[in-house]
Amino acid sequence: MQIKKILLLTVLCIYGILTYAQNRSSSLSGHLKSSSGTSIAAATVKLQNQAYKLVSDEKGEYRFPSLKPGNYVVHISAMGFKPQKQEVRINEGEDARLNFTLTESAEQMETVTVIGRTPIQEINQQAFNVSSIDAKKLHNSTLDIASALDRVSGVRVRVAGGLGSQMELSLNGFTGRQVKFFIDGVPMDNFGSSFQLSNIPINLAQRVEVYKGVVPVWLGSDALGGAINIVTDNNLKSYVDASYSYGSFNTHRTFFNAGYTSESGFKFQLNAFQNYSDNDYKVTTSTADLFTGQYYPNQKFKRFNDTYHNETIIAGAGVVNKSYADQLMIGLTMGQNYKEVQTGIRMASVFGKWFREGNIIMPTLKYAKKDLFVKGLDLRVNGNFNLGTEKNIDTVYRRYNWLGQFREYAGAGSERERSLYKYRNNNGLATANLSYVLNEHHSFSLNNVLNTFNRKGHDELDPTKAIYEQPFISNKNILGLGYKYNASEKWNTSLFVKHFSQLNKFSIAYNPSGLWGDVAYQNQKTDYSKLGYGIATTYFLKPNLQIKASYEKSFRLPETDELFGDIENLEGNIGLKPEHSYNYNAGLSFQTHINKIHRFSFDGSVLYRDAKDFIRPSLNQNQTKRTMGNLASVTNLGLEGEIRYSFKQLFTAGINATYQNLRNDTRFEENMVMESPLYRDRIPNMPFLYGNADASLFFKNVGQKGNTLTLGYNVLYVHDYYLSWPSQGERADKYDIPRQWQQDVNAVYTLGNGKYNIGLECKNITDNRIYDNFSLQKPGRAFYAKIRYFISKNR
Amino acid sequence: MKTNYTFLLPVLVLVTMFSACDKPLPDPLDLADNDFELTGATKYIIAATPVGTSGIADYLLTAADLDQGKITTRGNGMEQEGSYRYYVSNKNRFFSLLYGQGNPGAVTSYKLDATGKLSKLTNFQTETMQVLAPAKDDIFTIKVPRSGNEFATMFRINARKYQIVGEQQANIVKLAGNGERAHFTCAVQTGDKIFIPYMSIKGEPRGGDTFGTKYPDSTWVAVYSYPELRFEKTIRDNRTSFIGNYFVNGMTVTDEGDIYAFSPAAATNNGKAVSTKPSAIVRINKGTTEFDRSYFFNVQQAAGGHHISGQTYVGKGLFILEMYPQPNSLDGEGKKFAVADVVNKTFKWVTGVPDNITSTTPNNYSPKDGKKAYIGITTASEGSYVYVFDAEIAVAKKGLQVEGGTITAINALNY
Repeated sequence: MQIKKILLLTVLCIYGILTYAQNRSSSLSGHLKSSSGTSIAAATVKLQNQAYKLVSDEKGEYRFPSLKPGNYVVHISAMGFKPQKQEVRINEGEDARLNFTLTESAEQMETVTVIGRTPIQEINQQAFNVSSIDAKKLHNSTLDIASALDRVSGVRVRVAGGLGSQMELSLNGFTGRQVKFFIDGVPMDNFGSSFQLSNIPINLAQRVEVYKGVVPVWLGSDALGGAINIVTDNNLKSYVDASYSYGSFNTHRTFFNAGYTSESGFKFQLNAFQNYSDNDYKVTTSTADLFTGQYYPNQKFKRFNDTYHNETIIAGAGVVNKSYADQLMIGLTMGQNYKEVQTGIRMASVFGKWFREGNIIMPTLKYAKKDLFVKGLDLRVNGNFNLGTEKNIDTVYRRYNWLGQFREYAGAGSERERSLYKYRNNNGLATANLSYVLNEHHSFSLNNVLNTFNRKGHDELDPTKAIYEQPFISNKNILGLGYKYNASEKWNTSLFVKHFSQLNKFSIAYNPSGLWGDVAYQNQKTDYSKLGYGIATTYFLKPNLQIKASYEKSFRLPETDELFGDIENLEGNIGLKPEHSYNYNAGLSFQTHINKIHRFSFDGSVLYRDAKDFIRPSLNQNQTKRTMGNLASVTNLGLEGEIRYSFKQLFTAGINATYQNLRNDTRFEENMVMESPLYRDRIPNMPFLYGNADASLFFKNVGQKGNTLTLGYNVLYVHDYYLSWPSQGERADKYDIPRQWQQDVNAVYTLGNGKYNIGLECKNITDNRIYDNFSLQKPGRAFYAKIRYFISKNR
Repeated sequence: MKTNYTFLLPVLVLVTMFSACDKPLPDPLDLADNDFELTGATKYIIAATPVGTSGIADYLLTAADLDQGKITTRGNGMEQEGSYRYYVSNKNRFFSLLYGQGNPGAVTSYKLDATGKLSKLTNFQTETMQVLAPAKDDIFTIKVPRSGNEFATMFRINARKYQIVGEQQANIVKLAGNGERAHFTCAVQTGDKIFIPYMSIKGEPRGGDTFGTKYPDSTWVAVYSYPELRFEKTIRDNRTSFIGNYFVNGMTVTDEGDIYAFSPAAATNNGKAVSTKPSAIVRINKGTTEFDRSYFFNVQQAAGGHHISGQTYVGKGLFILEMYPQPNSLDGEGKKFAVADVVNKTFKWVTGVPDNITSTTPNNYSPKDGKKAYIGITTASEGSYVYVFDAEIAVAKKGLQVEGGTITAINALNY
């Protein structure tokens, strides 16, 4: 219902704008270059006495789309260049062009961006602690977005297995859903299994922004520890990007992305991608004789029920640069996935026939307008609704072992829980963002995100089963108000307040008789309304030395999967309470160079966190699923640092390390008067010391002039950690995840000025045993090859 | 300049690669299960869950004395895989079984080495179980479905071979014969027979009243031959309700070889206790497969209305009974304890037990000397202790303290 209201409102808004903006407006655009002729990106372009400013794009272009006729003074400033200003007169209906040639300045630093980080200053100048991955640099690699993220300092991606398996991210000790994902600023919370970070190819992204700690208001969400924003928008007029990769475990991946924007402002985009893998990699585990129960430990077995594939199309059409909209796009995301389930949450439970299917049918609406009614007032509206369904199929009454052998039993049984459950989550999402730039010092933003969830489903095997008739409803709304004070180019501060609300309707199973296993249902409602706030500030001590600090009180509302389960390996916990936390963050970044040949960047940050009702996973009582629970009080002191180096355009290397000191601060357990034996113990089953190093060599003009060969190496280290509380039990007998080293090498050969690319990659080259999550083993040595064709035109 | 760096890179890579290889895994444990001459000493194995943990299994602690002292899970005890376990011992071996509902689980077997240290022998896989009991050379388990499938599966796991040596299916709907399901509660083997009492339940999914029944006033025991597991007969009674309870042992063979069966009279229907019969003890005499119609011990009457909730045999016909806290009710917190002489039908409340009990241990130990029983009790104010019960004088006192943990089982092995 609410979705309908919002859509209606949006339509009314657009209608209003259409009637308002009948007059033909003028525009101003131009190109910025240095005296040597190279385009200048990220330069600030300001109109004197006007509220807002622009930043030039990667091609050195800028554009003010709708201006009133009149005289303007254009100010240009860019790091490493002398500022310039120029007067211009714009007539009615004119599309004026004004180009600038900037001269290098001796006093200011030249941009000393180290290879691998996006040079977009707008992002780095924020008071928020953010690092940005230049995804385009990885477009020739066979990575998915998840594995690219794994290389950012402070980030640990944990996956349950091969291609398509569930992934979870930990960021500075925040894990799972504490970290929120966005695609172009739109929360990805409810996209279903067919469109997840682990199955989106890297080529979809232009860059990936990683916010650590405080998240800006315009990314409106209940992120507690950070956010990942995947930026897909590019400003190319027309382009085709097509790639195919093939690799170990019969893995095929195809990606196609094309876009076209006509002179008249019609824009069309098409993304299509496909992933397929047998995931039949080898794992080292024990198998049992199905008759005697005898275990044969430490054997190697090929996975045999783990095929995964998904196919997704994202199409969008609309208009850009119109007087009534800078962008108005209507889109449709359609996709499907198929996933066999090989194991439970521990490798001891092995399945041979169980699988899942899902699809996504999601209409989307995107609207953006700058200078709505008044100069400096920008509106962004996004809406989507997922009509997709998910299906869980477990109907074969067999017991499998790791050899793929099975015993079949008579009757109607299953491998775990007999099910042909088909359900629809009815996820809706609407976001609206209004920002107003009063002048160059003060700006405001208002952001609202509404999420709806209403799971409905049935099981044809058991149509009357009471559990499926229970309500699974969750509505979540987050309203944020932000204020940004730009004291000077050197100092800016953001303040914000957020209101979190959540309404869950569900039923609880209770035990009417007091006897074990007896079940009846009772409808329940929980209603949360919480207020959070924060401040983030940054100061440039020197143009190349930046300090940042932030503080916030934030809430993280339970996700629908955590409340109601994912019908696979996560068991719901409807009693889960919102987690809240006080986060303190301080960071420093410094860039320097020696003779512009050796470039260095140093980043470091420290964070302290005091969390209540900390949400963490543990095994459920059957020990084959995970479930989320609250831990009364947890503190974390985290440190992370990164050093990057590059030599001319020939070599780059970097190293980063993260340490988390997550401790249980719960002194007294509920109803206990004695101090908890786990007080100040380290939180188990979470990596606490890990790091990454990478190096790349670039060879120019290999084979033919203009062709480039890149050789890369990447190593990941994760220190060993205990699966259970460290203080408990004898050290020698404890279960742990051993220390892990994973090394990858890759080579990319680029021909025809980037038109054709060939990539080769070997992951886990030493064939080490790599684990995540309750010892689920990940693939060993694997090879992948990728070919890519990319062509674009900007004019 | 350039050659300098290109030279360094492969060196760096090679150095890192060699230092970052996994070591091969150790060879599987050799099953060094030789019997050595026992010294006659005993060690107690106490399974304890640290307070405040969820989703993890108990730690296995060992102690030489249950009457005094203190043990802790901090830096001590063997960690176990999984999150929920049941324990049984037989043939001087200790077994920890993972409970996994419909999923298979690992069983880990332990013994004491010549120095009295608990050591892991091997893992093997079984199906989940609702019944487990020592039987001859075996551990006997039954997987009992509550919906769909009409067959319960019985397993014989050899306690020295650590593998399943026998398996038998039983149609529990046919066995119940009343339209409901026979749900086995426990098992006792004596001679060449195994006695398996059951409760009659409606099962899932009808209306959710899984453990409800329309037949609350009957007692059933299925008799199978052992070790062949051939069904012989069902013996019935109607003086009390069913024997034992879900995962609760309600049957014991005394020194004389007679079987005493304990009914909590806890049958329910649609959430209400509906048994009209008293909570009582009945008997199957040695060598027979019938209830002794001349024997009936109305415990509920003797206890002033309290129902039996559990039992631990002390020897010489004496039992420590765990009783529901309120008379004529199955509700409430804080269990009570009593001593019952089943031969002479006497009942006496035990003194010295704390009155703010938050949990008690279901799986306890007695040397069967007719005097002592060791039962784990946890209170909010003092934590967990093994209480030493003296059945002769019906008094309990604090024994071994288990710091920071809740006791889930007490077992004993010799070395």
